[in-house]
Amino acid sequence: MKRNRLDSVLLYATAILTCALLVFPIYWLVVTALSEPDQLRQLPPKFWPDRPRWGVFAQILAERPILQWLGNSALAAIGAVTLSMTVSVLAGYSLSRFKLRGGQSLGLFILTAKMLPATLLVIPLFGIFRQLELIGSLWSIILAHATLIIPFTTWMLKGYFDTIPRELEQAAMVDGCSPLGAMVRVILPVSAPGLAATALYGFVLSWSDYAYARTFLTNAQTNWTANLGITTMKGEYVSNWSDISAASILVALPILLIYLFLERYLVGGLTAGSDK
Amino acid sequence: MAGIRIEHVTKSYGGLTVLKDFSLDIADGEFVVLVGPSGCGKSTMLKILAGLEEASSGKVTIGERDVTDLAPGDRDIAMVFQNYALYPHLTVRKNMGFGLKMRGTEAGEIDRRVTAAAKILGIDHLLDRRPRALSGGQRQRVALGRAIVREPLAFLMDEPLSNLDAKLRVHTRAEISALHKRLGVTTIYVTHDQTEAMTMADRIVIMKDGEIQQIAHPDTMFREPANLFVAGFIGSPGMNFLQSPVTSAGNGAKACLFGQEVPLLVANASTLAGRDAVFGLRPEHISAGPGPVSFEVQPRLVESLGSEQYVYVDLPPENRVGQAPHAAAEEDGRGTALIARLINPDGRPLAERLTLSFDPARLHVFDAVTQEAIR
Repeated sequence: MKRNRLDSVLLYATAILTCALLVFPIYWLVVTALSEPDQLRQLPPKFWPDRPRWGVFAQILAERPILQWLGNSALAAIGAVTLSMTVSVLAGYSLSRFKLRGGQSLGLFILTAKMLPATLLVIPLFGIFRQLELIGSLWSIILAHATLIIPFTTWMLKGYFDTIPRELEQAAMVDGCSPLGAMVRVILPVSAPGLAATALYGFVLSWSDYAYARTFLTNAQTNWTANLGITTMKGEYVSNWSDISAASILVALPILLIYLFLERYLVGGLTAGSDK
Repeated sequence: MAGIRIEHVTKSYGGLTVLKDFSLDIADGEFVVLVGPSGCGKSTMLKILAGLEEASSGKVTIGERDVTDLAPGDRDIAMVFQNYALYPHLTVRKNMGFGLKMRGTEAGEIDRRVTAAAKILGIDHLLDRRPRALSGGQRQRVALGRAIVREPLAFLMDEPLSNLDAKLRVHTRAEISALHKRLGVTTIYVTHDQTEAMTMADRIVIMKDGEIQQIAHPDTMFREPANLFVAGFIGSPGMNFLQSPVTSAGNGAKACLFGQEVPLLVANASTLAGRDAVFGLRPEHISAGPGPVSFEVQPRLVESLGSEQYVYVDLPPENRVGQAPHAAAEEDGRGTALIARLINPDGRPLAERLTLSFDPARLHVFDAVTQEAIR
């Protein structure tokens, strides 16, 4: 009994410590955003400003085209996720269901693309996009993000499809569906949690990208993504960290809301198949 | 409704042939059960019939139509799967109406047919539930309902009772038989359970290693098994097997069983003269007390089921069968032991030593080499 209580105390202490470590940077981001710039470096630090600058968000939105940058980020992420999901649903389903000659090797080969660091792909992609005259266009990062997202989502979806009994699509085919019809009408609706989790993964990956945007979008400010835009707020000699933090909160907010909305699907999707 | 003709169907995966020259004619409205141990090819044959697997060679005709190269949805058959394969994202109503919707049936007609089928199966109160909210038995009924609303030419059922508990299985078995009588639709039913086969089939097709062993009415299959495999597979407990050389004298062929000369009454027994034969004797054809052939034994084990008792007796070494004809027979010791099924309505304890007997007319005779029945 005593042992159990000690276990519980240790468990809770570890959980609280972990949560504190994870939440503190977000909390400090908020504190920084709401503090006057001259209060940021004072010692001892203030854990909540005396007069929070609630107006900072409206001020940032007025001074900088943050909404446009957010819109670009959203367009790029939606485009990359749409493209990635279309490809990886079909690829993952094929890898899961059809015995192809060399299919196993092909599947592993797809995954090697994920093993390469993203920065390694920047140079060849830049060459390709320049030839295609896509530099400066949002299409460049949609395609670049898709190359990063597809390998992992293909395997994630293959794993999910593996857990769905083949008899479901066989029943659909006996009921009159074509193989593609069975996939669309039965397998995809059944896979909704897996699809949501996979799409969210792709969305986050695209939304949080900086390297590709910095390389491909530099010459067209109207096409900047939010992450790229925020870095331009850092001055050469002086940086207003309060404003940068406020802008960062605005950029993080959409993804946070999407997470909260899809959380139950995400957990279900990532743990699916663990009981089989 | 329609008859089904399967002609010389084979199925190979690379070098492995899982179905060898399978031919079968199924009459309109017939209930045929494909039965056999795991891996015998029965489910593969059903999938070929459904169009879910492609035959390596051969032809399948449903009604008058060659369906060998048709997609599953174009064959006008309905299938019930072992795990039911209900669409988890659809309600029972939509599950049952899915096939009709795919065929472009009008919504009103779908609703009418789904409601009628649900009433037949007693699931009309479950129509708006999702499959996950149903018990195993209810899911089974929905799977049946999904098949019958389509009013197909034939039903294909792949071990549909194997996920149910023993009690529900017996109940549903009777319901499927009743449903077949009521609808009269040609049905091909796959199972590994010989009791299901015996109780439901108009004809049983027993398979082993991709080959048909015998096609017959259940009673015929029980009384006149074509070979050792069929004899060992059909019946519960299974047939006992004893081995002995056959001798032929002026007054007919004889075998030596339990140290006694036993006359062989099958017409062609003398063809085995001078060779070993395997003799089959069903547990229920052995009686307690003296009879035409009597022998005294010391039971190794007695199992009481109330109204009947199973008595396990060691076979004399000279009557033991070298190789049991069926995996299940090896497991329950057939070939080295003999099981007698004694009706004992009083449940009296059996004496330590007892006399058992059998009628030589009940003996089945099999060629020990070819394993074929000798009649």
